[in-house]
Amino acid sequence: MKDQLNQLDQLGRREFMARTAKTALGVSIVPMADGLQAVKAAGGGKAEHVIFFYMSGGMTHMDTFDPKPGTETGGSTKGIKTGVPGVELAEFMPELAKRFSDIAVVRSMTQKTGDHRGGSYWMHTSYQPRATIVHPSMGPWAQTMLGKKHETLPDSVVIGGGGNHPGAGFFGPALAPLPIGDPEKGVQNSRPYSGVDDKLFDKRLELMNTFDEGFQRKFKTNEVEAYTQFYDETLKLMKSEDLDTFDLTKEDGYQEKMQKYGNSRVGKGAMLAKRLVSSGIRFVEVVSGGWDMHNDLWNAIPNTGGALDKALASLIDDLKAEGLFEKTLIVLGTEFGRTPKINANGGRDHHPRVFSTMFAGGGISGGQAYGESDKLGMAVKENPVTAGQFNATIAHAMGLDLNKVVYAPSGRPFLVAGHTRDPKTDEIVTEHEPIMELFS
Amino acid sequence: MILRALYHLGDRVYFLHKSTMKKQQTSPLRIAAVLSVFVLFSTAVRAEMRTWTSSDGRTLTAEFAGTVGAGANAAVKLKLENGSVINYPVSKLSEEDRLFVKGNLPTDPRALAAEIDTLVKNKQAESFYKLRDELAELPEKKSLTNAEKAKRKEDIEREMEMCKPNNMTNDNQFLRRIYLDIAGRIPTFVEAEKFLTSRSAAKRAELIDELLDSPAFAMRMYNYYSDLFRIRDGVTMMGNGDLKADPYIEFIKASIREDKPYNEMVKELLSATGQIWEEPAAGYLLADSGMRLCNLSNTFTVFMGTEITCAQCHDHPFEEVYQMDFYKMAAFMGETEMRSRGGNSMMMMGDNNTKEEVARMSKILKDAGKLRERETEDRNLRQWLGTKSIVLHDDGSNAVQLPHDYKYDDGEPNMKVEPATYFGDKMDVSKYDSPRHAFADWVVSPENPRFTINAVNRFWKMAFGLAQIEPVYNIPGHLDGQAQNYELLTFLEEMFKDLNYSTKDFFRVVYNTQTYQRESETMSPSLTQIDKGTYHFPGPILRRMTAEQIWDSLVALTTADPEAITRTGAEQYKQWMNTDTTDLNSADAIMAYKADWGKIGQLTKYDGTYVSRDDYVDGVQMFRASELRQPMPAGHFLRMFGQSDKQLIENQFTGGSSPQVMALLNGTITNKVLTSPDAYLIKEIAQGSGSKRDNIDKIFLSVLSRYPTSEEKTVAQSGMRAKTDRGDSDKAKLEAEAKAIGNVIWALVNTREFLFVQ
Repeated sequence: MKDQLNQLDQLGRREFMARTAKTALGVSIVPMADGLQAVKAAGGGKAEHVIFFYMSGGMTHMDTFDPKPGTETGGSTKGIKTGVPGVELAEFMPELAKRFSDIAVVRSMTQKTGDHRGGSYWMHTSYQPRATIVHPSMGPWAQTMLGKKHETLPDSVVIGGGGNHPGAGFFGPALAPLPIGDPEKGVQNSRPYSGVDDKLFDKRLELMNTFDEGFQRKFKTNEVEAYTQFYDETLKLMKSEDLDTFDLTKEDGYQEKMQKYGNSRVGKGAMLAKRLVSSGIRFVEVVSGGWDMHNDLWNAIPNTGGALDKALASLIDDLKAEGLFEKTLIVLGTEFGRTPKINANGGRDHHPRVFSTMFAGGGISGGQAYGESDKLGMAVKENPVTAGQFNATIAHAMGLDLNKVVYAPSGRPFLVAGHTRDPKTDEIVTEHEPIMELFS
Repeated sequence: MILRALYHLGDRVYFLHKSTMKKQQTSPLRIAAVLSVFVLFSTAVRAEMRTWTSSDGRTLTAEFAGTVGAGANAAVKLKLENGSVINYPVSKLSEEDRLFVKGNLPTDPRALAAEIDTLVKNKQAESFYKLRDELAELPEKKSLTNAEKAKRKEDIEREMEMCKPNNMTNDNQFLRRIYLDIAGRIPTFVEAEKFLTSRSAAKRAELIDELLDSPAFAMRMYNYYSDLFRIRDGVTMMGNGDLKADPYIEFIKASIREDKPYNEMVKELLSATGQIWEEPAAGYLLADSGMRLCNLSNTFTVFMGTEITCAQCHDHPFEEVYQMDFYKMAAFMGETEMRSRGGNSMMMMGDNNTKEEVARMSKILKDAGKLRERETEDRNLRQWLGTKSIVLHDDGSNAVQLPHDYKYDDGEPNMKVEPATYFGDKMDVSKYDSPRHAFADWVVSPENPRFTINAVNRFWKMAFGLAQIEPVYNIPGHLDGQAQNYELLTFLEEMFKDLNYSTKDFFRVVYNTQTYQRESETMSPSLTQIDKGTYHFPGPILRRMTAEQIWDSLVALTTADPEAITRTGAEQYKQWMNTDTTDLNSADAIMAYKADWGKIGQLTKYDGTYVSRDDYVDGVQMFRASELRQPMPAGHFLRMFGQSDKQLIENQFTGGSSPQVMALLNGTITNKVLTSPDAYLIKEIAQGSGSKRDNIDKIFLSVLSRYPTSEEKTVAQSGMRAKTDRGDSDKAKLEAEAKAIGNVIWALVNTREFLFVQ
């Protein structure tokens, strides 16, 4: 339902036409990255790439990054040492515990809503969901502010996402992340069907264009034009050699690596993300579900948590081996945590008051836990972090200017990590600051 | 109520057309036309003198002569003995008289449709003149810069243009749209030809009637409800598939087929008690098993268009919904449990009898060597029969309490909360079997100010692509000034009540309106228009087909009878669960019983036989989306085009993406299935005796529901040249022919014209 408004809300007609015209000529409306100077102040600006792991459903903080063993809310989850005194991870994260010197955990995240859709939206955009606008997610923000990173490859990719991703929001479909459903299948249907040669393909396209002429002349709605634009973009992509990038099986030592990453959905997603980043794609999101553990949590967590642990650990290792770790920010987020109180079905319910996220690489100073939840994991004890600050931290790592105002086609001003009005100057300024303690 | 038109006779009535735009007095002709409608209906109601009683007990003898107005303004026309006619507010009549009036309201769909058209036109005119005045005053506006004035001028002119009704659709446009809206798919060329060649003056109304009574309508509406209710094969969010949704799915489809009043359907969904195979409507609440508070929020969203999720944690920031209200409402569901007492919720073990039965049968299987070495219990039997403990019921103990961090001064943390409503009727819980049953009555009460509005607002959106109030899940507490057309919305609300919540009749009226039968708008409404409700429906919005509409249209291109194959698992499932297993005393009997489980939910044909792979087209299940898995797995064509994952309410989408385009350009469906020699259309054409030009007509009619232009015909002919040699076998010739025809079909399916509902 939001989707319709989303489309109706994209761009003013004129802007839309301008953009369509330019992309059709192969000229992107946003300048290439070379011309722009990234902000490199105070440890930020080192992350040329971001791999964002999104744990869909609400990841239990109590049984991953913020265990409370031995307390009344801890359940049967045990802690595991990280090498940093006083900081433990849950037992289901053994590989990450070994690599704790590379990661920083934030244990004082807090959200305003306990519904999946709202929470996810907030985490992706720093804004509250509205029926009248769709705010962009971070990949398209980076592309808008820094320019396109690679000439032919898309700037952002979402692996395994559902239909609910805010995508490029008001930036329009041209900047929408390329969705990949199954990491193993890569970009589905990206080659002409067997037996259809170039000549036949072109012949068919010619037929299509003739048959559709009348309709396209009559209906000039944003949605129709968006589809036409998708046809243009897709035909360009099909002709480029970049498609191999999306083919996981082309990875050196594919079988062996797959075992190492854990033969899981999130593991394959992590491996593909690494491959995409090595090829120059800026922002990759890996969505991983199964976290909405209302029932029987301890039956699910060894697998779900274990798969995540393996995937992240292998990714860190591989990025290091390829010399990309310092240039690539790994972030892990979710819409909210889960209730410390264990419910009657042996699960935990939605708990936005406090939860955990994780950062690594890309200028992050590892081996630390930032912020704290209280003894039972109920509330933030120290240094609360909002969704806006979470995104401000990502933005800072990428060198985005938090105070740069970008206007939606409707004329409303927006900032990458949410905006507010400075009471003294009446200027529109960022609502949230990055967590500077995370940077080295 | 339909006579509301008369109400306007003294006023100026506006006629707006694309070509001429002028304000005019009602012509005598128009009055005559309206009067003839009046006469038609006043004769339909049997004239009799009766005694009328007002709500404060006064009486009057008069003859019923129809009604005027709608909603709060509705009045009954009473013809007194001296012949004079007075209008008396329906709201001031006694309960009995109100029922009498309701029972005598004319419900002729075309007359009601005409009333809707009038209300739409009035709004368009009102808005047009308001904009025109603003345009006239614009140059004098000192607060605006010249640039701002120019921008505003452009916007006003655009909006004024959109206040004029579009032209009426031609038969081809209407045909395609009505099939997509009611049947959920495009017409086959046989169906198209039948309509286009019909000479009946009322052929549009006839087609609407025919389609509403077809099995296809239930499939289409089911797709809508399954997105709204999040109907999944595994029923629950975390379901592992051992509980089956088949009875629930069948309940929804049957409710639509039989035109069960919408309010009754909803009441059953909210008040069902029992196991899903016995009480199929239980599926609605079982879907949110373990998430009582979420379920409450979902029920408000789905049936009352109200978003109260935020009040779970704090007072609603924008509406008058307090956190206390949320918990008082939640307390209506406080006694509701999903599992029978004694059932082990963690392991799905079922009750003691079931456990014993599973142990007994397991032992027989073990002795016969049918279990694995270290197994002593048949896991499947345990899981399948274990679901007998999933019983929706109310256990008499209310479990709802305020959260531990409750911070307002009207309650203490962890305090127990008694059920109470915060709008609509006050409910006396003691009169019901359980608070939940009181809640169900409250939701569907005609006095619930949001229940009927929510339904008609959503249904309007289904027909027109945009609701009267957007977003549909957040209807504000005070409607006037928020709704796009308040008079129309309240009219629709009253109409739905008067039609006794018949979904079919409601859509019958809407699809008979001129407003619906006009051409689609060629421009997108602007953000401001949606935000401020100033889009006045010059015609429906141009919509991309839903994922299910696209898929089902492809089904219509590949199979002769798209509705022939259906899912019929409900009865088998019930039988299986109710089988008395104590009779099963041999390993063979138990194994046969186990094998029957696998047959539940298999697709069947009209004659009741199971569908086999022979019924697939080129290995693909080209059957209606409503009969396939719910939802299809991620990556399937349906999901790619936006079928909901059924995790969140209305999670379907109609936005575009490169993967969709790639699927249409390079995927199996457009390259293989549609052009398979097994595909219906190909068979018809390749084996038929038609000339090439006739065949091109047939293809265009099949895919786009229209005939080709002469230029298109020429181009299509060039694309359809098959490469065959004299020596080729018949099969090879057919394949070559199919491939050549396939080029044209491929190209047509790849047009925007195919994807959009004009």
